[in-house]
Amino acid sequence: MFGIEDPQIVLAYALAIGSTIVCMIYGWLKRNEAD
Amino acid sequence: MVDTTLFIACTAVFLAVTLYLGYLGYRQTKNADDFMIAGKRISPAVLALSYGAAFISTSAIVGFGGISAVYGSGLMWLTALCILVGVIIAFVFFGKRIRRIGRQLGAVTFPDLLGKRFGSPFMQYASAVMIIIAMPLYCAAIIIGGANFIDVTFGIDRNVAILGFAAITASYVIFGGLIAVMYTDAMQGVLMLVGLTVLLAITFAAVGGPAEAFTALSGLSPHIPMELQDAGLRSWTAMPELGSIAWLTLVTTIVMGVGIGVLAQPQLTVRFLSARDDRSINRAVAVGGPFMLLTTGIAFTVGPLTNVWFWNDRGQIALAAAGGDFDQIIPLFINGAAPELFVAFFLIVLLAAAMSTLSSLFHSMGTTAGYDLYKHIVGRDRPSKRIAQLGTAAMIAVSVALAMSMPENIIARATAMFMGLCACAFLPSLTYALYGKKPSAFPAKLSLVAGGVSWLLWTVFVHAAEAKALGISQALFGRPALLGPPFTAVDPLIIGLPAALLALAIGLAVERRADAPGKAEAA
Repeated sequence: MFGIEDPQIVLAYALAIGSTIVCMIYGWLKRNEAD
Repeated sequence: MVDTTLFIACTAVFLAVTLYLGYLGYRQTKNADDFMIAGKRISPAVLALSYGAAFISTSAIVGFGGISAVYGSGLMWLTALCILVGVIIAFVFFGKRIRRIGRQLGAVTFPDLLGKRFGSPFMQYASAVMIIIAMPLYCAAIIIGGANFIDVTFGIDRNVAILGFAAITASYVIFGGLIAVMYTDAMQGVLMLVGLTVLLAITFAAVGGPAEAFTALSGLSPHIPMELQDAGLRSWTAMPELGSIAWLTLVTTIVMGVGIGVLAQPQLTVRFLSARDDRSINRAVAVGGPFMLLTTGIAFTVGPLTNVWFWNDRGQIALAAAGGDFDQIIPLFINGAAPELFVAFFLIVLLAAAMSTLSSLFHSMGTTAGYDLYKHIVGRDRPSKRIAQLGTAAMIAVSVALAMSMPENIIARATAMFMGLCACAFLPSLTYALYGKKPSAFPAKLSLVAGGVSWLLWTVFVHAAEAKALGISQALFGRPALLGPPFTAVDPLIIGLPAALLALAIGLAVERRADAPGKAEAA
């Protein structure tokens, strides 16, 4: 995929981008939560 | 080569803004609390950008970018770990507890937090000693990373560059404390984001779009140096062969060493003590994730692709073009592939990356020397702004002297070593401190000593990269390392962290057994 031979590298990209999206959603949802 | 006038103009603007922010920090620093934990009033954006900028240094961009040119795109696993561990776990599961517990106990430094949480002067003193010994090594590597780029760009003497760097950073850390450090870090973090994003665009413009560039990179596999092929690296767009020397180095030293080590770094932990409230930490997560992706992700994407550019431009792979010094790959690539204006700007970005990490380390070492150690030596319990400032100045001098005497090709190695040591010595104790209901000192002491000692022994006697350079094994036993491959490629973290966890578990079991008769009598 995208010229990358190893699916493990594609997985690393997907995990990095997915985790970033999780961070943004978490920060938004909990922005006013004091815990 | 970049135009000197242009660079001086860019540098002057950057330094003016940095020193102004440092001055703002100085104006707001009235007492020891302000100096050491920024008066506990730092906003979410400044917290996240400052955390990210302190973590991502020239080491990540130049050192690890160069390493990714050698080992390939497998370093993207480090980016994934930086976000998962360095942001999600660090902020959500560690950060909030560090802030709350630290505030309850009135802790002002990382060793102070451990000491007060465990009610143990030993924990404070021992962790302070480890920081004082290990952190200057990491500091020196960061200084070298910045000086390398100036060296390549202008041919300025490395020692002059080192001194200039340290003097400017020291000026605002010593006077403005953590407020100045975090304000300047945040501004420098924004510069890093802009610079790296433009670098990615320039790289794809130079080597084709993503699919074309990675296809070309895959096509260069036959040109991977024979030494690396023998070590298990078959392609720059694939992980090395499972269990091979290249795989062990990439996964245990680079990915795990740094990705896990981030959790227990004293200079990052102190940022949570400075947060205004839990809300600030929640909001900071939304900034921290994208920051890590755009900084490390771009560095580890551009690094491997420099092979394509060097091959097209010079008929050589990146490592060969850099004369075998991977720390020179990114500077050489930018000097060759980017427009002059961007080279000047990116030099500022690298200065920013170096300064943001340096300032945090200077501050952390300084407060450790000027509070945690001074407290034990003199017997004074109250933190003093003046003593912390003196401690900071002294530790800066030590780091600069070390930077001048260390080899150039050390940036990424020293970073991984520091983070590995932090993980082995501090991570189990810190986790226990944060999650134990009534954490007691004995298991924590055992874990700290076992983690630190096992890390040190593996580093000195087994892990080839350090054992050969140190020469202690050779001098004592007539062999560069006591064990042979594949153990010589296994990072000390893989030994030290389980040892520390095991020691913690043994300590808890021993204590439980000792408590059992008392409980039985009471029943």
